[in-house]
Amino acid sequence: MLTNYVKLAWKVLLRRKFFTFVSLFGTSVTLLVLMIASAMLDHSLAPHAPEVRLDRTLLVTYMSMRGDENDWSGNPGYGFLDRYCRGIPHVEQMSVFTGVHATSSFVHGGKVELQLRRTDAPYWTVLDFAFVAGQAYGEREVADGARVAVISESAARNLFGGRAPVGQTFETQGQSFTVIGVVRNVPRDRDCAYADVWAPMTTLPTEVWRTALMGDFNAMLLADSPRHFREIRAEFAARLPHVVMTEPDRYKTISGMPRTRLEDIAAEAAGTTNDVPRTGLFIGVLVLLTLLFMLLPAMNLVNLNISRIFERMSEIGVRKAFGASTGHLVGQFIVENIVLSVLGGAIGLLLSLWGLQLINGSGMIPNADFRMNLRIFLYGLGLAVFFGVLSGAYPAWRMARLDPVEALRGGPR
Amino acid sequence: MSTMTDTVGAAVVDPRRPAAPIAIRLTGVEKIHRTDRIETVALNQIHLEVKDREFLSVMGPSGSGKSTLLNVIGLLDRPTKGTVEIGGQSVGTLSDHALASKRNRDIGFVFQTFHLIQDLNVLDNVEIPLLYRALPAGKRRGMAQEALERVGLSARTEHFPSQLSGGQRQRVAIARAIVGRPSILLADEPTGNLDSQMGDEIIAILEELNRAGTTVVMVTHDQRLASRTARIVRLFDGRQVE
Repeated sequence: MLTNYVKLAWKVLLRRKFFTFVSLFGTSVTLLVLMIASAMLDHSLAPHAPEVRLDRTLLVTYMSMRGDENDWSGNPGYGFLDRYCRGIPHVEQMSVFTGVHATSSFVHGGKVELQLRRTDAPYWTVLDFAFVAGQAYGEREVADGARVAVISESAARNLFGGRAPVGQTFETQGQSFTVIGVVRNVPRDRDCAYADVWAPMTTLPTEVWRTALMGDFNAMLLADSPRHFREIRAEFAARLPHVVMTEPDRYKTISGMPRTRLEDIAAEAAGTTNDVPRTGLFIGVLVLLTLLFMLLPAMNLVNLNISRIFERMSEIGVRKAFGASTGHLVGQFIVENIVLSVLGGAIGLLLSLWGLQLINGSGMIPNADFRMNLRIFLYGLGLAVFFGVLSGAYPAWRMARLDPVEALRGGPR
Repeated sequence: MSTMTDTVGAAVVDPRRPAAPIAIRLTGVEKIHRTDRIETVALNQIHLEVKDREFLSVMGPSGSGKSTLLNVIGLLDRPTKGTVEIGGQSVGTLSDHALASKRNRDIGFVFQTFHLIQDLNVLDNVEIPLLYRALPAGKRRGMAQEALERVGLSARTEHFPSQLSGGQRQRVAIARAIVGRPSILLADEPTGNLDSQMGDEIIAILEELNRAGTTVVMVTHDQRLASRTARIVRLFDGRQVE
């Protein structure tokens, strides 16, 4: 029966070319946008190099200090992370690193824009960078405050042209760094990894950062398993009341919580600060937005489908006369719509492959490397099928409930 | 107990012969079409028995209720009043799903305007009733081929309706009506869109099917064709007048 429905759907689509074109256009453009959005979201949330262990990483990126008259919310400082976040049970490794800062270097009179991040040594083992030359700095270089740097391929090209970059020096922020390693470019949306230049955090020009509770640092807590996130958070929360406030007259408490990347994004979207946000709500809002976005083209398709009822009255009457039940007809018309939507989805997929290439090459998002994968393809397929059901169910129900006598009478003669 | 018909088509008892099974029985059937302001009586107190293997014509002027009668017999329309029995089973209480199933197994339709699905070829059109019986594809194909052979169209299986003449289309429609081997065939002016030669060919096929055991009820305007059937029922303004 299903084969027959699909076969008939194919014949109907070939026969009604204008309808097919309009439907495919609407479906494929809708799915193009949704698939590109899915690819970008997937790329931000799913483990991708260098953030290959993102699924078992908790991030400490946002803390708040409160006093009677003062509030300070933002990135934690190294002092807090170093003193109060180390040695938490179930945390295999912890890495501390700064945010990225735009800086520049002058080469042969020309200005090279760079994004600089300072990190500790475990940063290079928590993350998995692809080195094309040299190596990362280790504990000794960090302890010594060695002026060494790992740079990206694009930074190497911009700074040194065709010369081998390892061993070369460059200046930025008034400091001279020797390149000891070169890594493949990191996309901008890999929040913890992205930069052009990575240097030991001990190369920071002042020493204030070492004790500050709030500042410009972040931490990655690499758990032995995501199952232990709850225990890690509990231990983190238990330590907060013991934090010795450095300015007790201004700030009396400090609060915050390690979060997953999804929770971080959800918190940012919701404007929540300290608590672990309800990611279910965030996902629910995303699903709702997706539905709303699909609703308009779906309504259009519903409209088109309803107008097709009049074209196909005779067929409906005949099928009813020869024993088709309402269920049979609903099934047939929904399958037809799903076939149409899956075709639209396939075109949308091809368009989104092209669209992602366009985005990657446009430079809008530095080092963007959005790609399709099976997961996104399955999202797309699911969306297409859902779209087919959404836009086909009501017209199918109306078609199937037509009185057979009326249908036969009103059919084309 | 047996029955025979008088001149007005009503069944009377003939105690001398064994009873022929009744294929269709309508008792006190009325059909009233209601809109907000108008009530139209399409059928009024119809009492009709059609014996198994009978070939019956229904005649009457336009609007006399012929097609409505056929629709009620064919379970496409429910009567406002009265009972309908098909093959001895009263169908008044059957659900829509059960009615669909009974139409599929017991009844075949032939329409004046053929009502073939333009998107499907001849073989696929003929297969339609079998789709709703969940038969395997091979068996469906075989039965459809066989039905097309019976109407002399086995060489046109891959043609589309638009590639056929009117007479050929009606043959396809007949093949579709008989493919599921129903016991009753309802034909609503099957020759209405055909010239007299093709009309005769179609009637010859219906007669052949009737001889092979199918009960045939045919609505027609054509007295010449109706006279070839065993009995004529005449309607006027929804009433059975002869």
